[in-house]
Formats: sequence, structure tokens, C-alpha cells
Amino acid sequence: MDKKPSHARTVIAYIVLIILTFLCLFFFYILIVNATRSHPEIQKGFSFIPGHSLMKNLRSVLNDANIPVLSGIKNSLIVSSLSAILATYFSALTAYGLYAYDFKLKKPAFVFIMLILVMPTQVSAMGFINLITKMGMLNTLYPLFLPSIAAPAVFYFMYSYMQSSLPLELVEAARIDGSNEFHTFNRVVIPIMKPALAVQAIFAFVSSWNNYFIPALVISENNKKTLPILIAALRSADFLKFDMGKVYMLITIAIVPIIIVYIALSKYIVAGVALGGVKE
Amino acid sequence: MRKVKGKEVSYAKYGYLFIAPFFIAFLIFQFIPLIQTIYYSFFEYYRSGLKIIGPNPVGLANYSALFEADFGRYAGNTIIMWIIGFVPQIIISLLLAAWFTDIRLKIKGKQFFKVVIYMPNLIMASAFAMLFFALFSDNGPVNTTLVSMGILSKPFRFLSSVWGTRGLVGLMNFLMWFGNTTILLMAAVMGINPSLFEAAELDGCSPRQTFFRVTLPMIRPILVYVLITSMIGGLQMFDVPQILTNGKGTPDRTSMTLIMYLNNHLFSKNYGMAGAVSVILFIIAAILCLAVYFTLNADDDSKRVRKRDRFKPRKEAVNG
Amino acid sequence: MAGITFKNVVKTYDNGVTVVPDLNLEIKDKEFVVLVGPSGCGKSTTLRMIAGLESITDGELYIGDKLMNAVAPKNRNIAMVFQNYALYPHLSVYKNMTFALELAKVPKDEMKKKVQWAAEILGLEPYLDRKPKALSGGQRQRVALGRAMVRDPEVFLLDEPLSNLDAKLRTEMRSQISKLHKRLGTTFVYVTHDQTEAMTMGDRICVMKDGIIQQFDTPQNLYDHPCNLFVAGFIGSPQMNFVDATVEKADGGYALCFGAARIVVDRPELAEYEGKMVVFGIRPEDLHAEPAFFGKGNVIDAYIDLDEMMGSESYLYLNYADQKLIARVPARYAKRAEENISLAVDAEKIHIFDKDTEKAI
Repeated sequence: MDKKPSHARTVIAYIVLIILTFLCLFFFYILIVNATRSHPEIQKGFSFIPGHSLMKNLRSVLNDANIPVLSGIKNSLIVSSLSAILATYFSALTAYGLYAYDFKLKKPAFVFIMLILVMPTQVSAMGFINLITKMGMLNTLYPLFLPSIAAPAVFYFMYSYMQSSLPLELVEAARIDGSNEFHTFNRVVIPIMKPALAVQAIFAFVSSWNNYFIPALVISENNKKTLPILIAALRSADFLKFDMGKVYMLITIAIVPIIIVYIALSKYIVAGVALGGVKE
Repeated sequence: MRKVKGKEVSYAKYGYLFIAPFFIAFLIFQFIPLIQTIYYSFFEYYRSGLKIIGPNPVGLANYSALFEADFGRYAGNTIIMWIIGFVPQIIISLLLAAWFTDIRLKIKGKQFFKVVIYMPNLIMASAFAMLFFALFSDNGPVNTTLVSMGILSKPFRFLSSVWGTRGLVGLMNFLMWFGNTTILLMAAVMGINPSLFEAAELDGCSPRQTFFRVTLPMIRPILVYVLITSMIGGLQMFDVPQILTNGKGTPDRTSMTLIMYLNNHLFSKNYGMAGAVSVILFIIAAILCLAVYFTLNADDDSKRVRKRDRFKPRKEAVNG
Repeated sequence: MAGITFKNVVKTYDNGVTVVPDLNLEIKDKEFVVLVGPSGCGKSTTLRMIAGLESITDGELYIGDKLMNAVAPKNRNIAMVFQNYALYPHLSVYKNMTFALELAKVPKDEMKKKVQWAAEILGLEPYLDRKPKALSGGQRQRVALGRAMVRDPEVFLLDEPLSNLDAKLRTEMRSQISKLHKRLGTTFVYVTHDQTEAMTMGDRICVMKDGIIQQFDTPQNLYDHPCNLFVAGFIGSPQMNFVDATVEKADGGYALCFGAARIVVDRPELAEYEGKMVVFGIRPEDLHAEPAFFGKGNVIDAYIDLDEMMGSESYLYLNYADQKLIARVPARYAKRAEENISLAVDAEKIHIFDKDTEKAI
């Protein structure tokens, strides 16, 4: 008697899951298929079968002087990598400073970071643009990665991880072994923090890779643009004139690397989401 | 009692040294800009053509101009589009979290589903919006297909319809965030002591009763956390409607969000008005930040217990 | 040469709590000293002050004849074994042991020699390439010892090193550490809350409570002549029996009276307590069931609430004149629960304490 309702629930659960899976995957599938089709083919409607224009679309994207894709990829890679490195390293450093040492401002500093944990950066965007204009950093990549040094959410993750995985005894052992504080951090703490660093590096990389608001305000020169700005530029141009194969191709280029990395590391990423709780 | 400094071994200075980069970066890139933003919100300061007007102090004029203009309307748009995305998001996420953690339901491929539903979260929002724009444009594949299948007699102009556009923005927000929420809620449900569920079952609770009487009350702190962080995310809503409507908030600015409004002022270099918008956003965000702070800390006791549970096996792992 | 000297040392934490009010302690070179006491008694803090992990609020700490207050841990020539071993999880056993040596820029071949020497003594040779994760608790414990040994320190500090091992392994490691001390001939300072560990390992034992040294003496002296109620109760298992009694004048000295019992003791110093209450203590093994002891008198008739048969001997939980007593008697003289038994109190082994000051009389 107990089995039947449970059985029905299982069926419903599968139906809902399959619909959601379809929703999540359908658009990307269409995107990738359309990236392989020519403009006239695309205009005819959906197709689940890839076309033959992959290379043609790729070439036309790469050759378009108005959309500097290669430098866009390069800029995005530079900004995202540096953001990921700065955010994880300095967040771990900050978390360690507050976790391992006792000092007067420890508690206020911790409370302060917790208070700004989810403060949107947009609220200070106006002053930010003003400031970097004065500093001569407009149209450079620096303002896109340097602020990552202060990443409260990454800090919080690192701090929680230290609480569960870094016994202070270990730090004391290193101290007695003659290791100075920086050496201890770099040679003992960082290796132990590796799993946390990896997960947060991925998140920091992805959020920087996808970031549009600030880069759009900072960068106006074509060869400094990152991928999201290039995508946005597509939209603002007269859309109807575009070769749709090219549009889908560019979107594919922006999205697919992240999807590949995600699928390769999905186990750790999903576990990281569950662990962290806090993310932008 | 305390001896002269340097007479004892103290590591306090390293604490300051290690947290210094964070606070310096925060000071330069967030705090000073914020102060400046607030400061200029009391000035007339904009660019007209090539000429810079101001800065001239105008008191609260920017704020009153803001409220006389369409600020309230954009706030309304933001809230509406947030709700369209959030309501299905929280319902579906609760449902999935309950199913995934129900030992009676032997759902196969949980890991696969988790990976799939989280994926949209990592997609570049601007590219996602561009994709939706292409797919849902008047002559795009969605319309072509619907017409050729005979469901529609003529193309539905999604992006010219108020609720079509808002609906698409909500749908995208839903798709991008429900996976994330599901995983968070699942983690919360799995943090509940399993014997509680066993006790409920022995007491004769049906799965539905267990969910409403045991699971929901137990994960309330996480639910509050999800709600508030989602509100902050909603406040920041920008990429999707910006790209989808080319920054215009079409049709007739019914999908214009607060950050899009801010962005327009920033682009037109109207620093006074941009400052005033920012300050109001800051106040709302600060209230939400406080709420997050207190939910995280109210949760502290239960969390500490959970941490301690986790601590033991972990510590083993650390030491070997 | 490295003795350790505390002169009027005070430790107050930043939150104003003083855990060590005024510590004076002299540990001799090559001595094995055990700091023992209940948790929160300041024993770990004392050890950590020697290590330099805890700053000293006031007073002076010497290792050898060098003032150490402001010397960093790494320059104190000490090694420490931690309660949870504190092995670097990302390094192999070999690398764990050479971590300090590498920092001290010890030549490679010398490093190798030292590790081999330590590994041989501790039986760790087969595990040098393993990570700590792949070792058992006992092996990890030995790696922690090895890491301390290779540094050739003047002082070994051990902070409850055996508390994470099971009972059997603990006994085994106890003798290993004692042997190691004899072999290395360095000063050992060992912290534990377990009085058995303290008694079996220490040359001298320092019993602490509330940051104050209660008694610092050899195990035998602590056992035979505890200086106050706390030490008497803390050292020895099962615990010493304490009984409130009135002092009365009697033939051949004074009598301690409680219930119907009058225990006559030859202790002239009781004169000033005549007519007053004192606490007297008697260890469970000094209550004798063997008839040979009955000749001297001082026999009580007690009711047995519960008996624990241990094989060669039996623990009897007694009720006498509303006082709970424990006796440890040879099994063949023991009786079972709910019976009465006659026991001779060995008057020579009685400890008498002032009821107010709790000090031994």
C-alpha cells in the first residue's frame, strides 16, 4: 500500500526533472547548432541537426574588424585569471590574518567584512569611474582586476574552510619549526587550502569572465574590450544587418569555454556551491 | 602589569599586515568612491555637449528630481521582474531539494541533474540575453517554429510586449538561479539530523507533512538567506534586460531597472543624478546587508554545532 | 645544559583573565617533569609559555641561563609534540621531519642521517614516503616525536600527546616515551590531565590547580605525603577516602572519631586540634581485610554497597556511619555486596588535613 504513492511521486519527479533539464540544455543546444549553420538556414527556423558552416562562421567572426574577438578573448583571459588569483590569494591571506592572530581590531574587522558581504559594487560605480579617470586607468585593464583583492564573499568562504580544516596547532608547529609567518602561510596554509582555493578561483574567474557592468563603463577602446562588451556591441548595432551565423558563433565563443571547464570540474563546483552558501 | 613593548613575543602585527591588502583595496576601490558618490549626489554636476556643468551644490535637488521623475517606476519594474523570476525559483528549488534528499524516492542520476541545473548560473548573462534576443526576436526561430506548427497564426512580438519582455527577463533569471538555490537548500536539508526524519516517519508523517512540519521549519534560516541574497541580486539586475532591450527598457521603459537607470546617468556623465540613484541603492543594499549579517549570525549556534560535527572527521583527514 | 626557570611569571589574557597568577618553578637539566592537573589549571599555558606560543605578561622565564621572554619560539631550541600531532597533511613523513631542518639550512646528507636515526629508533623506516593520512594514530604519534627528535632540541615539550590514542596504545607509548627520554638525555616537560601518566613517567611531578602549583615532588613523595587535600585526591586511583572526624585525646596519642570508630594515631601535632573537626584521608589499599592487621585495633565494621571484582583484588564500595568509603582488598579476603566486612585502618598511613586550609597537618 505504501509503494504506490511513492511510485507516483517518483514519476512526477522525473517528469519535472526532465522538463527542467530540457529547459537548461535546449537553448545551449540550439546555440551550438546555429553556430554551425549559415544565415539563410538559421532564418528558416529551428533545426536539431548541425549545419556545415562552422568554419565559415568562425572565419567571419575572426575577420570582422569591428569585433576584435581574439583580443577580446585575450583581454577576458587576462582579467579573469588575474581576478581569480588576486581574489583567492588575498582572501585567504585576509581570512588567515583574522583566523590565526589575536589583535585589537580583529573583531571589528571581521564584523565589517561580514557587513559588506553582499554589498553590490554598483552603488559606488560613479565614484569608481571618477577615481580611475583621475588615476589615468580609464581604458586599461587594471581597474577590472585590482578591486578583486577585496572580495568579501571569497573571504567568508576561506574563513569557514579554515575553521573546519586548519587546526591552529599546525601553525604553532611551524612556528616552533622555525618558519616565519609568511613562509608558514605560503608553504603550510596555502597547500592545505588548495581545495577551497580551487573552487573559489573558478567562481572568481567565471564571475569576472561574465562581468559586463563595470568593464562597459571603463573600456571604450576596441582593442581593450572584453567579451561581454563585444556581445553587447552586437546588440546595439543594427541587428538585422548581421549574419546570424556570426552572432551565434560569437556567443558560442563566449560561453563554451566556461561550459567545458564546468563539465570537467562540475563535481567540485557543485560541492563548492553547497559549502559556500555565499556567492555573488 | 604589562611590560614594555618588545619584551614579549607577540604576533598581533602580522594580523594587521595580513589583512592590510584587503582593507587598502577596499578603501581605494570601494570606500573612497562611495564617499565621492554620496558627496556628488548633493551637486549639480553633468556634461552638456562638451561642456561640464558644475559641480554646484544644490542640496537635495537631485533627490527630489529623482522622485519626480521615474525612479519609482523603475523600482517597480525591478521588483516585478524579480518576483517573476523568484517565485518559480523558490518553489521549484524547494521541490527539487525535497525530492533529491528524500531517501524513499530513489532518483537516479542526481549528480547529473545537479550539474545540469547549475550550469545556466555560469553562463555569461549578456550572452544568454543575446541568445534569447536572437531566439525570441520577431522573425527568430521561436516564432518561426510556432507559426509553422500552427500554434500561432502570426509571429508574437515578445520584445514589443510589456509582459513578453518582463516574462523573458524573469524566465532567464529563473533559469540562471534555480540550480544554485536548489543546491543550497539541499545542503541545508542534508544538514538536518537524519534521525529527525526517521522519528517523523515513526510518528506517522506523510512525505508532505514531513516536508511542511519538519523540513521547512528546520531550513528556515537558509530560506531567509536565499530570499535576501536574491533580493540583492534583483536589485543589481542589469545585464539581462540591458542587452535584451539594448539599454532602452523597451517597450516604453517598462523593463528598465534601477541599475540600467544608473548606467544611463553614468554614460551621459550626469554625476549628480547618478550619485543620487547610487545613494538610494546603497541605503536599500545596506538594509539587506544588515539582514544577511543577522541571519548568518542568528544561524551561528546551529552552524557551530554542525561545524563541530564536521570538524572531527575533517581533523582526522588533516592529520592523516 | 638547559634547565627551565620560571620567576614570578604571570599570564593574563587580553580579556583580563589571569590564568597563571605567580609561577615559580625550577626544572633541572635532563629532568622529566610532568605538569598535571584538571583542565583549565594552567598547565598547558605554562607549557606554551616555555614554547613561546603564549606571551608572558610579567616575570621572567629562563631556559638554561638565557632570559627567554622576548625570544621567538624558533630561537629557543625547543621542540614540541602536540595533542593532535599537528603533522603537515600535505607533506610526506620524511618531509614533515625535515621541515624544520630545511628552514635551518641543514645540509642534505646530514638531514638524511638524522631522519634515518630517528626513524630507526621509532620504527618509522617503512613509512617515510607516506602522507600522514595513510598512517594509524600510533604511527602519527611517532612521526610527531620523530619530528621533534631530529631537531636535537635542548628541551622537549609534550602537550597531552597520548590523549588521542586508545588505552592499549597509550600504555605502550608511555614506556616508549620514557625510554626515549633516557636515550636522548634531554629535558622533557610533559603536560597531561591523567595522573597515571604523570606517576608512571615523571621524574618529578608538578600538580597544578587554578594556575597555582600545589606540589612539585617525586611521584613517591606525592603519593605518600600529599601536601593538601587536592593533591591527595588527585593522585592515586581509586581516589583516597576522605572522612570528617573529631580529634579526641586518647591513650598513646589522639583519636579520630567518626561514627562509632575511634582511630588512634600517634600524631602529637594534633594537640592544637583537640575537640575540633579535621579531614582525614586513607587510601583504599590501607583499609585491610587480612586478619593479620586486626591486632592493632582500629577496626571498623562496614556495610558493602557494591563490589567490583577485579581478579586478584576487589574494590569494595562501603557505607560506614553515613560516609562512603572505598577499600581495595585482596580478592580472597573480600566479601560481596550487601554483606558486612571488618576492616583494619592502617593508622600509620593516615593523612590528616586542616578542614579550613585543606593543608596537611
